[in-house]
Amino acid sequence: MTAKITREEAQELLYHEAHLLDTWQFDAWVELYTLDAEFWMPAWRDEISTTQDPDRELSLIYYKGRRNLEDRVMRLTSGHSTASSPPARVLHQISNVRITHGDEAMADVCSGFVCHRHDTRMNRTDYVFGRYEHRLVIEAGVIRIAKKKIILLNDVIATSSDIYSI
Amino acid sequence: MAITDYIDDRPAEGVFRVNSAIFTDQAVFDAEIRAIFEGGWVFLGLSSQAEKPHDYFTTQIGRFAVMVQRNGQGELGAFINACPHKGARLAQLRQGNAPLHVCPYHSWSFDSSGRNKAIKSKHAGCYSAAFDQDDHGLARLPGFADYRGFLFGSLSADVPPLAEHLGEAAKLLDLVADQSEDGLELVPGQVTFTFAANWKMQLENCSDAYHFTSTHPSYIRVLERRQQAFSQDVVASVWENSDYWKDDATGIGGGSFSFANGHALNWGIFGVTPASPLFDRAGSLAQRHGEAKRDWMFNMRNLTIFPNMQIAENASSQLRIIRPLAANVTEIRTWCLAPKGESAAARRQRIKQYEDFFNPTGMATPDDTISYENCQMGHGGGPSRWLQGYARGMTASVAGGNRFGDLISLQPEQSVLANPQLCDETLYHSYYRAWANRMAKELEA
Repeated sequence: MTAKITREEAQELLYHEAHLLDTWQFDAWVELYTLDAEFWMPAWRDEISTTQDPDRELSLIYYKGRRNLEDRVMRLTSGHSTASSPPARVLHQISNVRITHGDEAMADVCSGFVCHRHDTRMNRTDYVFGRYEHRLVIEAGVIRIAKKKIILLNDVIATSSDIYSI
Repeated sequence: MAITDYIDDRPAEGVFRVNSAIFTDQAVFDAEIRAIFEGGWVFLGLSSQAEKPHDYFTTQIGRFAVMVQRNGQGELGAFINACPHKGARLAQLRQGNAPLHVCPYHSWSFDSSGRNKAIKSKHAGCYSAAFDQDDHGLARLPGFADYRGFLFGSLSADVPPLAEHLGEAAKLLDLVADQSEDGLELVPGQVTFTFAANWKMQLENCSDAYHFTSTHPSYIRVLERRQQAFSQDVVASVWENSDYWKDDATGIGGGSFSFANGHALNWGIFGVTPASPLFDRAGSLAQRHGEAKRDWMFNMRNLTIFPNMQIAENASSQLRIIRPLAANVTEIRTWCLAPKGESAAARRQRIKQYEDFFNPTGMATPDDTISYENCQMGHGGGPSRWLQGYARGMTASVAGGNRFGDLISLQPEQSVLANPQLCDETLYHSYYRAWANRMAKELEA
């Protein structure tokens, strides 16, 4: 029987993901995800509830399949996107990591985050904050991300936002 | 300064120039708020945002908080969203349902027709007779009108009827409204973003075909990658099904139409493609409206209803409301616009294209908004100078319409029809002619 994912392991993976984003190691970041991973940042339906159904309601970002994250990385690193050249300097801080559900093969992990961003082009600093809900799974002995949901609490987007700055 | 110091419009000499000061000057901005946003028709929202009795939604005109509300009889009204007692904003949510608004400050209350229902402790209040003669209801907007579910309001009573303001551009709203017999709705989920640049950058960019290949090459490469390696996971886009924007495209690919009062359309031929969310109703739309109008519904269309409303129907359908916050700060609220009753698959396709292309968290819009900020930095705000972005297409622009517009009986003031590389910039002239008409008095006062 495989051991369950511990909180320490979950926390380590979340910190590792944050570090890869913070240091612009996007190819390594994509590798953390399963091929059929879901990456979802819902929009807000009103003042108190986010959208719940990505097929019938709007999301800020919704992709099913790692392939789509590769597209985003390709755009980000292509040198052909004004918005991404240069990328903003970001620092993710993750806290309150808890496993809310888990068995031998997976763990649902919730956490809080703040992502500070400094846009060197505009010399402008801002931040976003919210909650993450990760679903971690074990694939061939390696913990990977099968789902990441980002609940963005300050959702008036300052000019633009991308997969690495949320 | 005279208006000609801001807009240099000499058609006979082939000159149209805009001074960079209109993007940076505080006096210009203040005059715009008065003359453009508080002095005439602006778009408020869709009637479907307040569908049932007592539903309301809140918005803003210029500096004023505004509430659009449906009363118990189902009639829509538009009011200044402020209690006449002390000015507190009454409705504080984006939308809701309220037969009665009770001011949270001193409990004056108002029904959904805007009438004052009660003043707390009125009889003990020792009011004068003059007070009793006042109307204590909410202030109605002097102008409020509904064109096929598109609601417009005006803080000034001195406006032409809405139909006159919209003119021929109303036929382009028909192309949106007629996509469903049941009307239009906004997909749940709202997106708001701000950028550090002047609001007219957004106004222009919606009509700007010239920037597409140079601003969005990273998006175009993603489209190419998706075409090369087909995967069911990826988002199908109408852009990849069209040649009209490609460098090697030939023949007539689209053009532009300019209308009175500052409205403009930039359009391209997309064809009836399965990547469009309308595809599964292509037959029924043709039956109901004829093939010509149906094909126009499938065309790429970026419509501006001056000054604050844009409907971009290219990748999916986006409704935008532009709100200037300062000369160099703008807020954009956007929604995914959809015909009611479309199939689940069509709705999914519409939503996915919207998110991929239009969102400020997507793969195209960020490159636009960053460019606006680059322009704003380039304008600087120091000594003003004439910009050169308004000359392209001047010798292709003709008075009246053309055979494509004729298909939907469109009679614009000016039109351009050309190969895809022309990427006409003359349609901004309609914005600035309307702008100059409205601003002349304010700026020269």
